[in-house]
Amino acid sequence: MAAEKTADKKTIGVTSANERVLAALASEGLFASEIEAAKFAMAHAIDSGVARGTTEGAGTKWNVGSVDSDGALKAVVEALFPDETQPYRLVEHLMNEGLRLFDKGDTLPPDVAGVLFATKAE
Amino acid sequence: MLRIKSLHLKDFGAFKGEQAFNLPDEEGVTVFYGENMRGKTTLLNAFRFALFGKIIGRGRRPVSFHDMINWEARAEGARSFEVRLQITHAGAEYRLTRTCRPKSGTDVPAGHDDYVADYYLERGGHILPAQQAALELERILPEQIARFFLFDGELLQEYEDLLHGDTDMGPKISQAIERILGLPTLTRSRDSLKAALDRAEARVALAAQGDQKTREFGNQLQSLVEEREVLTSDLFRHEKDLEALRAKKVAIEDDMRRRERMASLLDKRDRLAGEVAALEESVQKKKDAISKAMAPAWSALIRPQLAAAVTTHRTKEAELQSAVTRAQVLHSLAEGHDEACPTCLQVVSPEAQAKIRALLPQQGQGSREADQRELAGVRRRLDALEAQLAEANPEALRLLWTDLEARKRDIYAKTAEIEEIGKQLTGDAEDELKGLRREYDSVVRQIAALEEGVKATVGKLAANATYRENIQKRLDKLAGGQMEAERRRRDLASRLHDLFKESVDLYRDQLRHRVEADASKYFRKLTTEPDYASLRINDNYGLTIVHRDGSDIPVRSAGAEHVVALSLVAALQNNAQLRGPIVIDSPFGRLDGGHRSRIVEVLPEMADQVVLLVYEEELPPARARDALKGRLRSEWSLERQSARHTELVKR
Repeated sequence: MAAEKTADKKTIGVTSANERVLAALASEGLFASEIEAAKFAMAHAIDSGVARGTTEGAGTKWNVGSVDSDGALKAVVEALFPDETQPYRLVEHLMNEGLRLFDKGDTLPPDVAGVLFATKAE
Repeated sequence: MLRIKSLHLKDFGAFKGEQAFNLPDEEGVTVFYGENMRGKTTLLNAFRFALFGKIIGRGRRPVSFHDMINWEARAEGARSFEVRLQITHAGAEYRLTRTCRPKSGTDVPAGHDDYVADYYLERGGHILPAQQAALELERILPEQIARFFLFDGELLQEYEDLLHGDTDMGPKISQAIERILGLPTLTRSRDSLKAALDRAEARVALAAQGDQKTREFGNQLQSLVEEREVLTSDLFRHEKDLEALRAKKVAIEDDMRRRERMASLLDKRDRLAGEVAALEESVQKKKDAISKAMAPAWSALIRPQLAAAVTTHRTKEAELQSAVTRAQVLHSLAEGHDEACPTCLQVVSPEAQAKIRALLPQQGQGSREADQRELAGVRRRLDALEAQLAEANPEALRLLWTDLEARKRDIYAKTAEIEEIGKQLTGDAEDELKGLRREYDSVVRQIAALEEGVKATVGKLAANATYRENIQKRLDKLAGGQMEAERRRRDLASRLHDLFKESVDLYRDQLRHRVEADASKYFRKLTTEPDYASLRINDNYGLTIVHRDGSDIPVRSAGAEHVVALSLVAALQNNAQLRGPIVIDSPFGRLDGGHRSRIVEVLPEMADQVVLLVYEEELPPARARDALKGRLRSEWSLERQSARHTELVKR
């Protein structure tokens, strides 16, 4: 268990509660894939100041190679979160937290344009 | 000369109970003043109902008898209405009474079809038999020419169709004009003589068949005569069908005009639906474009954080680069690879080298490599950050999304408008209108086909006439005995027919010139435009305004149209075989005060007896009295008792 916690993740998952939000986000945000939608959720979490952490029960959805084929995502997370030793675990956490932030219950689908441009207007 | 003596109404429209008015015996004008909704048009319809059993509403649409029973009287139990008209014509006194009542067996009438309108006509106090009454009425005022005696502004507008050869209403009005001018008397004579000529030709053929010498030509002539009869019968049938189809086309056009608003709503809805479909297609394309552009959206969302991280990493990169360079220089000096210091350029002595070596272990070889590894990591992250920043283009995304939202809003607005239109479309309006349009297209196609048929038959008849003429000429050379008498009969019929044919054309031409001259005379009296010199008539009795420089006025206003129409009606009255009263409902349309005064002044010249239905603002009583002077014979008011009850009151 301790070994699992110290090694970075090879797969990234989404909690079952967040699956519904991910599907709605991908559709509403006109994303080409759920991976892109998940990255957007991650960015939303970062933008909202979500602290680093881990998400339990995320399961397995994608290999990290599918999510970050060129390592750019990892590099960016490392840049924004210095001293992070398990960037993909953090990526998974941020994705799930971002999706949770988008989950407003009955008000799905998420307001992608609102989030995207409200932030940029600041 | 037809003259109205009195009109008696019972529960007719707004006129509750029994009401009546007499018209003075003297020539002149009687004015009825009534505000809107008081019953002026109803009064005009009272004359129509009495004479023809018809009631016409706006848009020339028949009005249901059920709606014409005075509403208050109906609430009190009345189930019928009646109009009685007392007139004089050709020295005789007539009393025409028409009553509308529920059909027998109808307990609770609910619509037009539940009623029947009967009439009886008395002459000199004696009721005429039904057939004779119908003939007398047709003689007194044929319905086809009623438009010149009973009219309103709407009817006057139809005369514009006479200018355009491509309308179906134009020929109908032209026929009515020729009817009032008396041309049918001559045309019927011409047609009788044509029938006589045809019979004479048949007799010639028969006579020729009885002689050995001429039998062959007689047989040929007989065949041609038979062919002509078939062709003539075809032509007659086609023309009758054509007339029926044209009437149907006019009726459909009327119906379509009445549903113009519905049609325009439907057209608008279809146009909006087309626009929505196009927008939906463009929205889909825009979504595809956004889908491609959204890949780097996550970077755009954290662009400020990325930019801040770039700054931090640049500083870190510079620090690390400096540490790594310093360590490299010290190492080089300690190892003696360089004799002089690269900074101060002084030779480094062995003692100094020893001191440097002493320093190095404290910093340690491992520390330099760690800095280099960290520097490489910082640069890797910096490259990634800059690549993401370069890709993140929030403005481009904003433009795409804004455009998408604008289109979606447009779709929403148009869809809402479509729904709104849907609410305004009543019941089966759409199906009915589509049905009407289909029917109209079908009638137009049938007319075109029939016209072709008529043209072909006319061509065949012309060829038949040429063949018959040739055979007649040959027969004439061989003729003798019985043939000679038949030939003389035929020649006489032929000459008479030619004479009447020519006289019809001549008379029609003369009539046109007379109508043109009289219409011009009235027009000059009616118009306030001094540059308008006259009117020019066309073959259909359509009138064009001619400027005093001789040129035509190609486009005319609704007001000018009105004045021209009144001029035509006045000219027709002047040249008509049948003279009678005119009853005009709101004749001024959009005419200004100057024109109104002139029309009022000219009214007594248009007919011996004029009944004018106006509202006071349209023709103030003072202006009427001033313009008509002694020719104003009586004035009446349509006075409101309630919304559903008007009383006729003499002023």
